[in-house]
Amino acid sequence: MKNRPEIAIETRKLAYHYPGEENISSPAVYGINLSVKRGEYVSLIGPNGSGKTTLLKLFNALLAPTDGEVLVEGISTTEEESQTEIRRNCGMIFQNPDNQLVATTVEEDIAFGLENLELPSPEIRKRVNRVAGELGLEHLLKHPPHLLSGGEKGRVAIAGILAMQPSCILMDEPTAMLDSKSRQDVLGAVRRLNREQGLAVVHVTHFPEEAARADRVVILHQGRLIEQGPPALVLNNLQLLHQLGLQGTASSELAALLRTDGFSIPQEILNCQELVQSLCSSELKN
Amino acid sequence: MFIGTEKLSHIYMPGTPYATKALEEVSFSLDRGDFALLIGPSGSGKSTLIQHLNGLLKPSGGKVIFEDRELGSDSVDLLALRKRIGLVFQMAEEHFFSETVYDEVAFAPRNLGLDEVKVEQNVKLALERVGLEWEVVHDRHPFQLSSGQKRLVALAAVLSLQPEVLILDEPTAGLDPGGRLHLFALLKSLNQQAGLTVLVCTHHMDEVADLADSVLVLNRGKVIMSGPAHDIFARRQEFNKLGLSLPEVTEVMHCLAAAGLPARTDIYSLEQARAEINSLKRRLEK
Amino acid sequence: MSRSITLGQYMPGESLIHQLNPRVKILALLMMLAVMFIVQTFYALIFLLLFAVLLLASSGVPFSYFLRGIRPILYIALFALVIYFFFTRGGVVLLRIGFITVESDGVREGLFVVTRLVALVLYSLLLTLTTTPLSLTHGMGYFLKPLKYIGLPTDEVAMIMSIALRFIPTLMEESQRLMRAQLSRGADFESGSIFRKAKSLVPLIVPLFISAFRRADELALAMEARGFRLGARRTRLHEDIIAPRDWAVLVFVAATLAAALVLNI
Repeated sequence: MKNRPEIAIETRKLAYHYPGEENISSPAVYGINLSVKRGEYVSLIGPNGSGKTTLLKLFNALLAPTDGEVLVEGISTTEEESQTEIRRNCGMIFQNPDNQLVATTVEEDIAFGLENLELPSPEIRKRVNRVAGELGLEHLLKHPPHLLSGGEKGRVAIAGILAMQPSCILMDEPTAMLDSKSRQDVLGAVRRLNREQGLAVVHVTHFPEEAARADRVVILHQGRLIEQGPPALVLNNLQLLHQLGLQGTASSELAALLRTDGFSIPQEILNCQELVQSLCSSELKN
Repeated sequence: MFIGTEKLSHIYMPGTPYATKALEEVSFSLDRGDFALLIGPSGSGKSTLIQHLNGLLKPSGGKVIFEDRELGSDSVDLLALRKRIGLVFQMAEEHFFSETVYDEVAFAPRNLGLDEVKVEQNVKLALERVGLEWEVVHDRHPFQLSSGQKRLVALAAVLSLQPEVLILDEPTAGLDPGGRLHLFALLKSLNQQAGLTVLVCTHHMDEVADLADSVLVLNRGKVIMSGPAHDIFARRQEFNKLGLSLPEVTEVMHCLAAAGLPARTDIYSLEQARAEINSLKRRLEK
Repeated sequence: MSRSITLGQYMPGESLIHQLNPRVKILALLMMLAVMFIVQTFYALIFLLLFAVLLLASSGVPFSYFLRGIRPILYIALFALVIYFFFTRGGVVLLRIGFITVESDGVREGLFVVTRLVALVLYSLLLTLTTTPLSLTHGMGYFLKPLKYIGLPTDEVAMIMSIALRFIPTLMEESQRLMRAQLSRGADFESGSIFRKAKSLVPLIVPLFISAFRRADELALAMEARGFRLGARRTRLHEDIIAPRDWAVLVFVAATLAAALVLNI
């Protein structure tokens, strides 16, 4: 694995129209220049229908750009021969894990991608066991997917992707249907792999608290990239967020309200700890 | 008792090795005009419980009570009951089958056998109540609407029964922050202006905690906590143990309290938190 | 809710029978069925029946499951018994009430046929209760392999079968949910004329179709996203290995078959 490029995904003037959409003037995504570095965790936020899912599908070569290009590990997604390699490199977790699980048992599902890669059985077995261990699924290997809880299904979907040893994973609202414990399980697992194994992550979410944990937040609106930067900056640009029908984290929203009341709180507040620390150290010192 | 259960139990597939106790002696009650939350980890029996409340499931033991009377099993009785107790399923827009928004919303009143003039009145009122403009939406295809609008139509499709009780299962799943805020504001006005009794099942406390009068917490089919919202939310430790989370603003207040400040922790909305922190500052300055 | 739906009859377990190769199990079953039709004596049949019970016990599947599996054939068995008792002549007269007589040959043959029937069903249950629907499909797929040479895409058929097995419970659960959702909106699926009933299914069928298509679409994307290509070569997690124990079972069953043929018992 030498000479790997620094950039996992790069797009240049990327645009996509869904075929059959009459309105050529409003493409699903348009003019996107974005690069995701190796090992970077990027959150993609934006209102419903802003083109987030379309963008992920373009990254994964499930859609071919109408204009511009997508490079995954330096390879263009339009090259037919490289598509299998791109999809292995850049795994995708769909919104509804139920529709992503192919096989009738958990282990066979985790193995599915590896079988497509034509790996020998012992190697498949080894990887299935390793990934199942990493995601705490060892005890479920023989279970059929329909008997799993939402969080377990989500983790199986991730396991099936990780077994293929991608350099990047794309997640489309993986937590929309989950309770808070399962959300933490799924996102915790991804975050750990991101930290420990340098997995690049592109995570589409409607929850500012989830976006806040990323290295970078990207806002999409009507198919265009409106804003990007570190969460502390982007998620505190409340004027822009509210204008788009989005929200900052509860702490950043509260911090903004308190600032208008004359509190001196720094601009970059994302979570509860930061807010409390700032309040305690300045305004509410006893 | 307006609506509630007494020692309600439910067993799926009784008498087989697959038998699972979904509910075990669940008792709770709501008063007319209440806004209640039903929370609990997934698999805790929330869906099973709410499906008993309008007679979709029959108890294995115990009873469901509406207006001091035990629910019978007579089918005529059930239709009358479902007219008065509206149940909105999770992702209810996936259950659409009509060509126009009008027909979709009219399905329920037509099932009641109302004449078309009355049906139209009901549909108009229902669309008005969810804030959709009749002129704009009534003859559009439901699938052409945005996801937020679809969810509102799904709500109108139940409101057109003109129920007195509205039960919603995860009503904001998949919506963006703007859509979530809008929907909860709507539920608040239905509760406060139109006097509907509202019961919401949800995993996401942030936007809704402030609206609740009472809270019921289920875990593994049993009632773990129930009572007025401020009593229940005060039991933060138990919440965290169950893997449930409190609204983030409440966490902020708890953190302030933990830092030794005399902050109130029965705070569930941004505005309340803002007011309390301002007042805390004044109190400390004295 | 999904826990209320099970598919096929498979009961998980770790017994020897569970671990046998499905191809071997299918082949062994076919041979045992042949044995059952070859043997002529009551003793041999009883022996086979007892052997089946022994195997059942070793499989670790609760006995009630076999009883439940046998229930559907009880009526057939009862019917057969009645026919044989009252209409087969020969041997000693055991009972005479008016014009009805029961003779010993009838009783013997009746019991023989019913015992054979029960044994047949028990051996078949032994296969279906200890083999996942998926392995069964793969096993049967193996015996259909020769059809590849006349142009039948057997690998694709196997994939389609396994996806069907995966999604049937999901779709069943979904239709149940859907039905309840429409009931909540006052739908009535029971009363009225046939025409009305058919019409009342529209609110079920349309969303079910839409969702099935959406699922199919997403599944196709997900499979593609995981590198699946139609017609491409694939390997398997579970190699289809015939282990020594499988050979042992095959030899044992074949020997039983041979014995039945030669000994003429």
